[in-house]
Amino acid sequence: MAFPQSMRSSTTPQELEFIASEELVEIRPTVKMDQIRFISGIYGPFTGGRLVKVPLWMAVNLKLKKKCNVVPPVWLNLEYLQDKLSEETSRPVFSDLPFRYAEISKVLLDIASDDLDQPDKLRSVLKDLREARQAKTREGLRAIDQNALSLPNLSAMEINEARPFFVGAMGILSQLTATTDATTI
Amino acid sequence: MVYLPPPNLQTPSRPGYEHAYNEIVAVHRRSPLSSASSLIMLVAPDVDALCASRMLADLFKQDDIMHRVIPVSGMNELEQTRDELVSNAELHTLILINMGSILDLPSSEWFGDFPDHLRVHIIDSNRPQNLSSLFGPDEKIVVWDDGGAEKLDEQRKAWEKLAYAPPEDEDEDSEDDSEDDLDEDEDEELEGSSSSGKRRRSSPGSGRKRRKVDDNPNRITRDERDECAAVIEKYYMAGTYYGHASSCVVYLLVNELSRTDNDMLWYAILGLTYQYATARISRDLYDRWYAIYENEVRRLNKDVLIDVGPGLGSRNANSASNNSARSADDHSIRVVEELRFTLWRHWNLYDAMMHSGYVASKLGIWRERGKKRLHGLLAKMGFSTNQSQQTYSHMDMSLKKDLHAKLESITPEYGMVELSYSSFTRCCGYRSSPLSAADSVEAVSALLDAAGGIRIEIEIEGARNGGEWFGGGKVWQLYGQNNRWKDEERENVPPGGQADPKKAGAREEEGEGEDADKKTVQWWMRNFWSAYDALNNIQQLRDALRLSMSLHRAVIRQGTTVIDKHAIRTMRGHRVVVISQGPDLALFCHPGALARLAHWLVNAMRERIKGTNVSAHSKKKSLPFVVACLNERDGTYLVVGVNAALEFGDVRKNEFGLAFLDAKERCNARTRHGTFDTNVLEIKQEDLDLFLQTLCEGVRR
Repeated sequence: MAFPQSMRSSTTPQELEFIASEELVEIRPTVKMDQIRFISGIYGPFTGGRLVKVPLWMAVNLKLKKKCNVVPPVWLNLEYLQDKLSEETSRPVFSDLPFRYAEISKVLLDIASDDLDQPDKLRSVLKDLREARQAKTREGLRAIDQNALSLPNLSAMEINEARPFFVGAMGILSQLTATTDATTI
Repeated sequence: MVYLPPPNLQTPSRPGYEHAYNEIVAVHRRSPLSSASSLIMLVAPDVDALCASRMLADLFKQDDIMHRVIPVSGMNELEQTRDELVSNAELHTLILINMGSILDLPSSEWFGDFPDHLRVHIIDSNRPQNLSSLFGPDEKIVVWDDGGAEKLDEQRKAWEKLAYAPPEDEDEDSEDDSEDDLDEDEDEELEGSSSSGKRRRSSPGSGRKRRKVDDNPNRITRDERDECAAVIEKYYMAGTYYGHASSCVVYLLVNELSRTDNDMLWYAILGLTYQYATARISRDLYDRWYAIYENEVRRLNKDVLIDVGPGLGSRNANSASNNSARSADDHSIRVVEELRFTLWRHWNLYDAMMHSGYVASKLGIWRERGKKRLHGLLAKMGFSTNQSQQTYSHMDMSLKKDLHAKLESITPEYGMVELSYSSFTRCCGYRSSPLSAADSVEAVSALLDAAGGIRIEIEIEGARNGGEWFGGGKVWQLYGQNNRWKDEERENVPPGGQADPKKAGAREEEGEGEDADKKTVQWWMRNFWSAYDALNNIQQLRDALRLSMSLHRAVIRQGTTVIDKHAIRTMRGHRVVVISQGPDLALFCHPGALARLAHWLVNAMRERIKGTNVSAHSKKKSLPFVVACLNERDGTYLVVGVNAALEFGDVRKNEFGLAFLDAKERCNARTRHGTFDTNVLEIKQEDLDLFLQTLCEGVRR
């Protein structure tokens, strides 16, 4: 294959971040621009102060040039995440977080931390969430069998993390059960 | 020709910086041929120019304007670059930073022959400026002025009179011509210095026939002509000095565009601190700019300064709020009192005081007696020897808090006043403790002077008192340069040391014969780019601090040797030092390092020698100092001339540029100017003595 060895097992986090940059976020532009037509859609017009929905990559680009302020998404605030954290630690199922929450929150914390409220506390809550969910994933993987494993509400990054092990284990298990089926039949 | 007034002086009929910037942007966007080589910035290798170019590059990046930054180290380089640029069809804007203001740019030797749509912008802190660039009719040259040109009214009138006057009569014309020709032949290698400016501005119409006296309304008499010539000559001959820093000028532009933020402000602060730390501007000017920047800091960092007590906490150099970032994203700038000891926050107090020129001169540190006095001073302040030899970060908290107060109370006894000045420090989140402006300037200038190409030992932190297994030092290597030395001996590397670069160096030496020139060009370019990168990168700055400390130590070693051996000769009021041996000879062949040595010596000797009046034009006394260092490989001496003021914090104009030229002409020495500073030159070994004698005699005109 054309991929280097390190990239063959699954997609890298940077690739996931790239894919997540298609998600729409709201921004408040500080300069005036007309409507812009891209392949992915038409965005704008940008007039001072009014909220506009643009893809994340565009928001990052504008923010780096100091041409907009990012409005944090609904779920990226301290109380909401702390609620989710307590939910996470009290119940055995995964709580409902946006599919690409890890990538989006990382990008926004890096680039637009001045637009977020208490970014350092946000960082620590996000870290706690990740660790709680990671513990649950490990538990869940114990229940793996050759047919199906259901882990609802897992986020893209976490799926990617588990994928190499999961796929390999499923493969071996199905081989094993196939032979036992064969012998029993 | 046009000079742009600063924002406080601009009017609708005299557009200023913002207009010029918008024009640059508009031209770039309009032209279909725009590429990266349509906007080129030529940058001189000093900290101020680096900051200014960084600010402009950031502005251009935000506006999506492609540009190129080309470092230029001296006049020769500039000429070469200019020759290359002549053939560049896409070029429509050229920005020169900290170079070129003394050159006669409208002339055909420089940019007179370039196409008319080209604009050359000059942002330069060197003075004096060439009057035909400032006042001439050529629209191509745009000088960004800081308000100084307004005061040049007299010179402007004189220049205009001379420029627009009809030629003198024929006999005198031919005399002038032949003199001019002779001068031109002699000075081929030289920069377009003030002498060429002098030649150019005199009767541009020379060679034409004399016209009837009554016809021309601009006719001026012989006396008026002489008067004008005298005024202009006085302006050029007064010596070199510095105006406002280029980064301050660019910050004014950024302010006009309302795009200020902490990064831009920090670069401007670095430029200003650099000028003050290298004695280019006086304390007054520094204080004025400081007040402006303090307002800016308060404006941009409102949330930081609120919870510090009103007035009290933020000014104390050692208060806790100034020593740590409040959060991981904290990139704010704080106001702080800075002490004059070099890098005092990064090595121990004793060393810092030893290595600062000011303290050295007041206490006489190169002698045993002086060292004892220093110990005595520290003891009086209540610092035990143990404590003062501890790295600053490991000192007792109580001592740190009282440091400032104690210094203020005890040091006047020893005659050291004005130990502190107000400055700024910048947090960088949790990555490291806040770095002050003075320290950043030290780090960046150390990188510019010595980042690549010099073998120098740096001390590993904690290596004193037997802390490190394999010896106290390691050789400085540029961050990330390790992978360049491909042919290292990797097998025999001891666990604590570095792979031996000598072998790789030896192999490079062989191929060096042909590309010796390429190599010498590359070292300063590497320095430039590593300094450029480090401006933003706290990790590289911190590493560079160690380099800066080694440089200081080398300067001290050499300086104390010089003073101990009484190697300072006095020739008619000039102090001359010639260094031809010593462990650091290779280091001092670089102009930056030698200039540091010169400044240190001046600071050290300030108390001990009387000032003399060497200027032909002013009655002020000053301390002229000349330092020469032998470059064994090339067989030349590198000479630096410094004209220091009698008080610390004051400046004098530096006449050495002209003095060097004079002396060179009179004794026919073979010399070369390698950098933009006219007071630095290289001279062949054999000619040195004669040159020095002619130099010192020649000043009394």
